[in-house]
Parts: sequence; C-alpha cells; structure tokens
Amino acid sequence: MMGAFLNWLEHSLGKGPSPDGQSWSEALLGSLNFWSLLEGTHLIALMLFAGTIMVVDLRLLGVTFRKTKVSTISDAILPLTVYSFVFVVLSGTGLFFAKPIYYYHNVQFLVKMAFLALALLNIVVFHSRVQATQGSWDADGTPPKAARMSAAGSLILWTLVIICGRFIPYNWYDCGKPQSDVINWVQQCKTSEKGEENMAGQRFDAQMWKAQP
Amino acid sequence: MSSMNLEHFFPQAKAWVDTLGDIPPGSWVKGPKFGYASWEVGHILSLIVIGGTTILMNLRLLGAGVTEEKPSEIYRNLRVLQNIGVIGIIITGVLIGAANATKLYDSSAFTVKMMALLSGIILTYGVSRPVAAANGAVALMPKIWFAIGGSIFLIDLWMFATTDLIDVGIYHVITAAALILIPVTRGRLRWGYIAGMVVLIVAQFVHTHFVIKPDDYDHLNPVNKIYTALYAVWIVGTALITLFRGRGEEGGPLTKLVAYSTMLVWVLGAAAGRWIAFQ
Repeated sequence: MMGAFLNWLEHSLGKGPSPDGQSWSEALLGSLNFWSLLEGTHLIALMLFAGTIMVVDLRLLGVTFRKTKVSTISDAILPLTVYSFVFVVLSGTGLFFAKPIYYYHNVQFLVKMAFLALALLNIVVFHSRVQATQGSWDADGTPPKAARMSAAGSLILWTLVIICGRFIPYNWYDCGKPQSDVINWVQQCKTSEKGEENMAGQRFDAQMWKAQP
Repeated sequence: MSSMNLEHFFPQAKAWVDTLGDIPPGSWVKGPKFGYASWEVGHILSLIVIGGTTILMNLRLLGAGVTEEKPSEIYRNLRVLQNIGVIGIIITGVLIGAANATKLYDSSAFTVKMMALLSGIILTYGVSRPVAAANGAVALMPKIWFAIGGSIFLIDLWMFATTDLIDVGIYHVITAAALILIPVTRGRLRWGYIAGMVVLIVAQFVHTHFVIKPDDYDHLNPVNKIYTALYAVWIVGTALITLFRGRGEEGGPLTKLVAYSTMLVWVLGAAAGRWIAFQ
C-alpha cells in the first residue's frame, strides 16, 4: 500500500500524457540546481534551528545565561527557532519528495524520523507538564530536575536526528545487500526494487517491481 | 570565472596533496566504516554551535533576539560555545580535508569556504565579539579588523557569485540576507519589504515558467541574473534603511553593519561547504 503510494508519488504525480514526460518528483531530482539549493537550505536552516534550541536547552540545564530568566531566553529565542523550523521542514519535505522510494527503504532516514517524532513529543511534554510550574523556578540559575531532564533529552534527541540525517546518503544498509532481518524488516526491503537478502544469503525479490515494464 | 581552486594557485603541491588520503590522519578517518561520516557529523554539529551562537549575538547588535539583555551579557554567555564551535570546525575540517584532499584541492567551493572561514574568524573574534563586549561601541582595532575581514568577505562573495558550477550557491547568501531582515525590521518597513519580495518571487516564477519555457536556458540565464540583481538591490536597500534608521538600541550603523556581515559570512561558509559536494 505505502509502496504503491510512493511509487505513484515518484513516477506518476504531475506526469503529462507524453510517454517521455517527467513526474514532478523526477523533474525536481533532475533539475539543474534546485535539488542542490534545497539541500543547502536544509543545512543552513538547521544551523539556526538547532543552534537556537541548543542555547535554550543549555539555559534549562543551568549551563548558560544563569542570571537571565528562562522565560526571557525562551520568549526571545523560540520564535527564531520556529522561524527556522519552517524552512527545515519545507526543504526537508522537498528533499523527500524528490526520492520518496529511496527514503522509504533507507533505515537511517526511518530512524531519523523516529527520533524526530520523539523530539517533538519531548517538546509537547515540556510545554504541557514541565512548563506549568515555570513561574516558581523561572529565575533559578539551575531549574528543577524535570526541566533539566527535558532539556537533556532535547539535546540528545536533536543530536541523534542530525547524526541520522547525515548518515542517510551512505549505502551501509542498502536493500539488496546482505542485511540482518531487523534491518530488512524496518526498511521493507522485500518491496524494494533491489529486493531483500539476509545474512544467510537468501534472496527475496519484489513482485511489485518485477511486474513493472 | 572557470576555476579558483587551490590547484590553480599552488600547482606544485599536487603530488603531496595526492598522498594525504593514504597517510595519517587522512587514512585514520577513511579507515573505519563509520569514520568519515562521524567526523562529518562533528563538523555539522560544530557549525551549528558557531552558527547559532553567532547569529544570536549579532541579532542582538541589530536590535533583535534577546533584547532584554545587554549585548555584553549575550557575549559573556555565548563566548565559550563560540570557541567550542570554531575549534570543532577546524579540527573536524582538517581531518575530513586530509581524507578528501585531492577533491578539495581541485574545488573552487573549498577555496570559497576557506576564505569564508578566515573572514568569519576575523569578523567574529576581531570585530563582533569586542563590539558586543563594549555594548555596541566600535573601537579603533575592531574597525581595522573589520576593514580586513570585510574585504576578504567581499572578495569571497564575488568569487562565489562568479565561479562556474558553484555560482548558484550565492542564492543561499542572498536568501539569508533577505530572511535576517524580517525579524530585524519593524512595522510598515517590514511589511513593505515582505510584499516587495513576494512580488519579485512571483514575477520571476511567471517569467521563467510561462513567458519563457523552463528548458530554454539561453533566455533563462540572463533573465535569472537580472532577477538576482533586483533581489540584491531590494535586500541591500532595505538593509541600508535598517542600518541607518536606528531604534535607540546600542551602537550605530557601523555596529549593525558588523553584525549583519558577521552573520552572513558564516552562512557563506556553510553554503560553500555544501557546494563542495555538488561541484
């Protein structure tokens, strides 16, 4: 189901009646410079996004801006974080749209998305639970343990998101190569163009891809 | 311009450069499965640390960001992180570079990145930090360093914008220059500025997709260059108004020019670094 949807997204969406026509995804990937500009934008926006999150988290950990209220730092910096996050998400979505099938069968990307979901969940928990008592510790040099735990979690999770993101282009776990059963299952190699091969050398090829002309 | 790489300037070093990937530390970096990629992660994390903290400190000099604290307080709290970022960038950069020396030796984007790094260090350590520490006052030494670092930055911008195969990367710097102005400007100026940018973007899209066919490169290239110039004029014009129309915050036009340049030089370095891979 998901494979068929991504196949349509990559090869059919936006394709005109001409047999030589390109889908929007193929046009984006094959563009002279646009894909490169998107990737560069993703990195530069990340610089502001992660850099500002880091400063807020370090304040919550009591490492920096200890004499400044937490609310002063977060109220001034988080709008910049959100501003840059918009560009990170837009450029990231564009990059995914250029190669959706590749990313779907890439374990580094999938793990990155899992860490991203956890990092976003951590933000929700911070704003709904930890921040509820902020008035009582706003001016403290070292905020309470719950706030520090949340900040440490944020730093670790965003770092993991960045690590997995940088690892995406590497072919260590490509489908079609001998991989552990867990890796093959996570990145759904059975439905990939290159099929699945386990560590014992057994191969499973995708019928879906074979059926295509 | 066809190329501005190290091979162009130091052709006699080629034999030595070709050996760097096979001897330590280049061979150490390339050896382990995750080695090279891990140092790349370190490089990006260092860039995030220096980029994020530099942007916050310089936004304060421009009257945005953490405005409830004085620039000197922002500087005092972020200086250690900036040191960590710069040291990290240099160490990881040397290791990655040693493993990848032949490619970098032949790369114009790498030359642009190195000049941006030099200019970034001069503008950050020689100018922006002393200015922030003095709450916006620009003393004589920072002025001298600004002349030196700013000149390198301008030459580097010119190289990036005019070198074949990497010149498109200048759009990152133009975009950053445009986006920085949104939180820095206020009131009618901000909305007028945004409206002008939207008009330019829509006009360029219509022009390059409907008036001219998207695959007609002979006609697209000059039109895109005209739009690039129009963007630059619009952004620089708004920046000049912002620089010279103070809102009572610390420092005058020179302070703001220092802050704006220092943010952009790190964006230039990051953009050029990314375009090493695309060249």
